[in-house]
Amino acid sequence: MSVVTAPTVQRGNLAERLDLIVAPVFAGLLAIIGAAVLLYSDIDDTTRAILAPEKIQNQLVQTIILGFASSALVILIAIPIGIAVTRRGLPRLKNFLVDTLGLAQALPAYGLIVIFFSWFGAGINTVILALAVFSLLPVLRNTIVGLEQVDQAVIEAGRGMGYTKRQVLFEIELPLAVPVIIAGIRTAIVINIGMAALAFLVGGGGLGETINSGLKLDRNPAILIGAVLVAILALVFDFLGALAQRYLKPKGM
Amino acid sequence: MSTRLDQIQESTLEHSLYVVSVLGLASVFSIALGVLTRRSVLARELSLAITSVFLTLPALALFTIFIPLVGLGFAPSFIALFLYSLLPILRNTITGLDGIDSSVLDAAKGMGLTSRQVLLRIQLPLAWPVILAGIRVSSMLIVGVAAIATLVAGGGLGDFIKSGLARLPLPNSLEAIWTGTLLCLVLALIIDLILQATKRATISRGIR
Amino acid sequence: MSQPLIRLENVSKAYPGTEAPAVGNLTMDVYEGEVLVLVGPSGCGKSTTLRLINRLIEPTAGRIYLHGEDVTDIDPSVLRRKIGYVIQQVGLFPHRTIAENIATVPKLLGWDKARINERIDEMLDLVSMDPAIYRDRYPKELSGGQAQRVGVARALAADPDVLLMDEPFGAIDPITRDRLQNEFLRLQQDLKKTIVFVTHDIDEAIKMGNRIAILREGSEIAQIDTPEVILSEPADEFVENFLGSGAILKGLTLKKVRDIDLHDIPALEMPVLRDEALKVLENSPEKTAVLLDKDHRPLRWISEASLNRTTQPIEKSGKPITIDLQPEDTLQDALGVMLQSSVGMAVVVDRSGKYLGCCSIESLASMIISDSGGSATA
Repeated sequence: MSVVTAPTVQRGNLAERLDLIVAPVFAGLLAIIGAAVLLYSDIDDTTRAILAPEKIQNQLVQTIILGFASSALVILIAIPIGIAVTRRGLPRLKNFLVDTLGLAQALPAYGLIVIFFSWFGAGINTVILALAVFSLLPVLRNTIVGLEQVDQAVIEAGRGMGYTKRQVLFEIELPLAVPVIIAGIRTAIVINIGMAALAFLVGGGGLGETINSGLKLDRNPAILIGAVLVAILALVFDFLGALAQRYLKPKGM
Repeated sequence: MSTRLDQIQESTLEHSLYVVSVLGLASVFSIALGVLTRRSVLARELSLAITSVFLTLPALALFTIFIPLVGLGFAPSFIALFLYSLLPILRNTITGLDGIDSSVLDAAKGMGLTSRQVLLRIQLPLAWPVILAGIRVSSMLIVGVAAIATLVAGGGLGDFIKSGLARLPLPNSLEAIWTGTLLCLVLALIIDLILQATKRATISRGIR
Repeated sequence: MSQPLIRLENVSKAYPGTEAPAVGNLTMDVYEGEVLVLVGPSGCGKSTTLRLINRLIEPTAGRIYLHGEDVTDIDPSVLRRKIGYVIQQVGLFPHRTIAENIATVPKLLGWDKARINERIDEMLDLVSMDPAIYRDRYPKELSGGQAQRVGVARALAADPDVLLMDEPFGAIDPITRDRLQNEFLRLQQDLKKTIVFVTHDIDEAIKMGNRIAILREGSEIAQIDTPEVILSEPADEFVENFLGSGAILKGLTLKKVRDIDLHDIPALEMPVLRDEALKVLENSPEKTAVLLDKDHRPLRWISEASLNRTTQPIEKSGKPITIDLQPEDTLQDALGVMLQSSVGMAVVVDRSGKYLGCCSIESLASMIISDSGGSATA
């Protein structure tokens, strides 16, 4: 669950390649551990019940839906705000937002989910809202940084040639900010998938259910399998994010 | 009420203990790692990639995956928090060391300082502000995540949230939840202040 | 006098919170087909003035006229599509190919694809860059000089009447800058655009401008006139100080190499036999010849003595030619080159590097002497 990591700048080919290798390798290792646990540990009936395939499948789907729905919500909110706040004349608002949200990162996601539960009741929607608040910062901050690091000379040339403000935003600023913005979205998705594991606390389902059952009933294999599964899930999406970062980079950069 | 205050004290102390001990160990480890790998691009990028993966892993998974090995309670919580806090500090150590003007290093070597002296007397002090910023990032991170320790019997401010949740909608349950949540924020602010003070105390005025 | 193409009338720009305006009540006309250079010390407001013309900076007072029409209040984007704009850092769009960069304004104006494609090739040819090679490249693959050429091509793509240039060659190395200045002057001879050019370099101003406006703080015009008049009759102490000492030397920038009579030094084109070369040298009064390669480009200075001294093949005898002049170079440039030449002469080449003739220090000297004698009446 990465959270407040600052936007990464291009670190060169090696970093990019490692980006695409390390996560899958880790996922593979985890899968091996999971398989080993399944094969070699004591799987009694209780454990079997916890690990029933249909259950696991459902939880998997739930986790994914939670991760994506909350990320979609965040993108729809944070990117427009990021754009709005980087327009001329609003530096103080921008700093205020970034500082406040930075502080919000220290709020425990756990606490947020439960508080939202007390307001909005049980269910998936509650969790989606809570996660959206939590992962707002990476996307917002990356949008802001991404837009601000666009070479001013390029923007000036664009305006000077007759692009309207809107055209400058869509033809120049956004395309050039895409790499950094996508990095932020990737972070948000990973956070959200990770935090979705807590959804079980408020009736939101997800793979945390398996882990919790394992904890409650003192069945280590269940704990491990649950943990491994949700970890692999997060790594898979991180990997997809890394692919997006690599292949959605504008040519010529 | 007195037991309540006792509870608050105890949980806050536990939580603080997590943060301080993890930050302490992680800082030493990450800075050392950053220093050791500063000459090899491969080693450096590999360390960054691996610690980055830790941060990608879901909190709950990281807290629970070590249980079969170390049981419940403080141990798995500490390990999880430790692994989480590595990346920000490591990355900032690397960036900090990288960002030093090479002419300064040149001059130092030219004056006859050994590599070690350059590292200890010039590079680390100059990189310190950036490293400290990384420690701050990590601290914000773990203050929030440490609340999950309660789920593996690790204590901390998460206890309030858990008990509050369990007792909903009974009276005082909401209060408990908010207490746990807001105290994390307060703790974060306090740590931030301490780090700012540290910054002022340890960074030479020449580079502030 | 014909109606000016651009007119700034009582234009001011004041920023809130600063006492003195960046541009104070400026009235300035730019005439069709001329290159007007705005030059002055840093901070005098010359760039601000330039950007008032295409309203990248909006005036706080005054009116702006283009082709006689008041354009102070029209949609600025529409205005800018009719004006070419070239800046020092170029500002090529890094995520687009060279072709796409050049096509920007034509696309905005709704030209059809075929016409745009043709125009892209035309523009690249205009700035001496082979379309086949550069069309699909990206800006990051270009050198500084090439990038600015594309910048100019891009600005001219939609065939605007007016071109605004803000220190366009400022970020380029002196040798390339010289090349680009010369090429630009050649271009302007053909295209006859109306150009407002900002620079802080008085030599560049004299070289490039039909008229120069020397600006004081607040963009106040200290003197606006042709380079010849400014050099011979500076309006006040400020202008004099800005011109610096050696106005006569500056006067050398007014005449170009093409105004000098070129010496007819014999040229030998490769491949050539030693005996042939010796015969030619015998008949030449200076006993020096220029050795050209098979593309008619100068390689070496050959003299009788150097040929006789060595048994080396002819391509290795004599002295290599390392510097050259172009017809658009100023006499000042010529003097500089001459001082570096080991033979008291410099070769003059055309835009593709082919040999045109030689310029000797004697002809240069006589030009300077006659010129300075006549400069008071210029």
